[in-house]
Amino acid sequence: MRRLVAFVLLFTMMPAAAAAASELDELLEQSQAASYSAEQMISCATPDGERNALVRIEQVGDELRVTSSISDGVQVVSGEGEWTLKRGEGQVVQANVDAGQATTEPLYTVEEEGAVQYLGRAAMAYLLIRDGEPRAELVVDEETRAIVEAVTLTLDNEIYCERRFVSFDTATPVIDDGTEAAAKTAPSAIETSSLPDQISGFELLDHYVDEDGVAFAYYSDGFFSFALFETANTVALPDAELVEFGSGPYSRVFTAGQVTYVWETRDFGMALVGDLPPDMHEAVLAEMPHPEDPGLFRRWWRALFG
Amino acid sequence: MIHPSELISAYLDGELHGPELAQLVDHLGGCGRCSAELEEMQRVRAAVRSLPIVEMPPGVVPEADPVLVPLRSHKGMWAGVAAAVVAAVIAVAAIVTPEPGSLTVDELNSRFGARASLDPAFGPAKVVVPPMVGE
Repeated sequence: MRRLVAFVLLFTMMPAAAAAASELDELLEQSQAASYSAEQMISCATPDGERNALVRIEQVGDELRVTSSISDGVQVVSGEGEWTLKRGEGQVVQANVDAGQATTEPLYTVEEEGAVQYLGRAAMAYLLIRDGEPRAELVVDEETRAIVEAVTLTLDNEIYCERRFVSFDTATPVIDDGTEAAAKTAPSAIETSSLPDQISGFELLDHYVDEDGVAFAYYSDGFFSFALFETANTVALPDAELVEFGSGPYSRVFTAGQVTYVWETRDFGMALVGDLPPDMHEAVLAEMPHPEDPGLFRRWWRALFG
Repeated sequence: MIHPSELISAYLDGELHGPELAQLVDHLGGCGRCSAELEEMQRVRAAVRSLPIVEMPPGVVPEADPVLVPLRSHKGMWAGVAAAVVAAVIAVAAIVTPEPGSLTVDELNSRFGARASLDPAFGPAKVVVPPMVGE
């Protein structure tokens, strides 16, 4: 009888878990379709100190414009695989990628925490849970479905990053990046990769090699994500902290909501850029090519011939 | 691979390509003996190539008048001078060789942001904030 009850419980719980997984996609996709402008405060407690930013966000459908209120004159327009970064007058970095959408099964379940008021508007709070641990809290505006607050949590249930709207206007903004294309990275070709398909629960979604021979792979666990870069040359990371994980030293820089690691292997310069909470860093780096001194000869060879 | 001296010669003659070249480079990266041999052979070849060609004054060696004769006398001294020149050239080259083109933080951010923007999870929940220059 107990076995029967267990089977019944198992089979009644499985569809519920699947439904919860699709809820996260639904929640995030709805928020991408919202149109609004807002000011967002980003505050992160990183191992290297606090990182804060105030940004102005304008979103129309899939397109997002972010203007930093702290880094004067920095503006980003992104959406549908395109990214344009403008610094001050005329200095532009652009990139675009072609990629299919992820087909991975999200690792997160969504728990509804109840109705709340946010900036005087009706909203709903959700908790994202991975492997039984709460990893993020989202507050979604009821009318627009915009995510007005996102708090990411460490494994110890401490706050890693808070992103809160401090002003919110639901009038549809007009997005015009006002920049002429400068050095645009050509659409990247998707290639098969020798990199692992899974890294600490993150799935390799796609792998690109650009015309300069820089390879990058994109991993996601359904909510957090990171890109791994592999280049014959070096990666410049000014003012980085030197940290030791496992087999060697890594250069690390935290910005508001993002971390960058740089290291060198025998054959490549490597970089990781992502929004992972600090408790995930060591496990992810441990499954990648380890830091190794390439030696003088290889450095010269790479410098001369790539 | 067992100390491939003949491949090193072929490499210096520009006759090595493809997998053989990759194999040799891989071997050189881990073999001090072959790396040293390569450096020594490069040094000798450079020294030989750098020997000056001197035109003899007419009449000194009448039978050699129509041709240019490489200066062979005082070979040891010239080889030493040539080696010193080569060493100086290498030292200068090491200093003035430009840094290889490196990826910048802006480029990393742009590519990550471009790809992340295809993710359902991208948006206000994970805005990628560009760092300040020099941050």
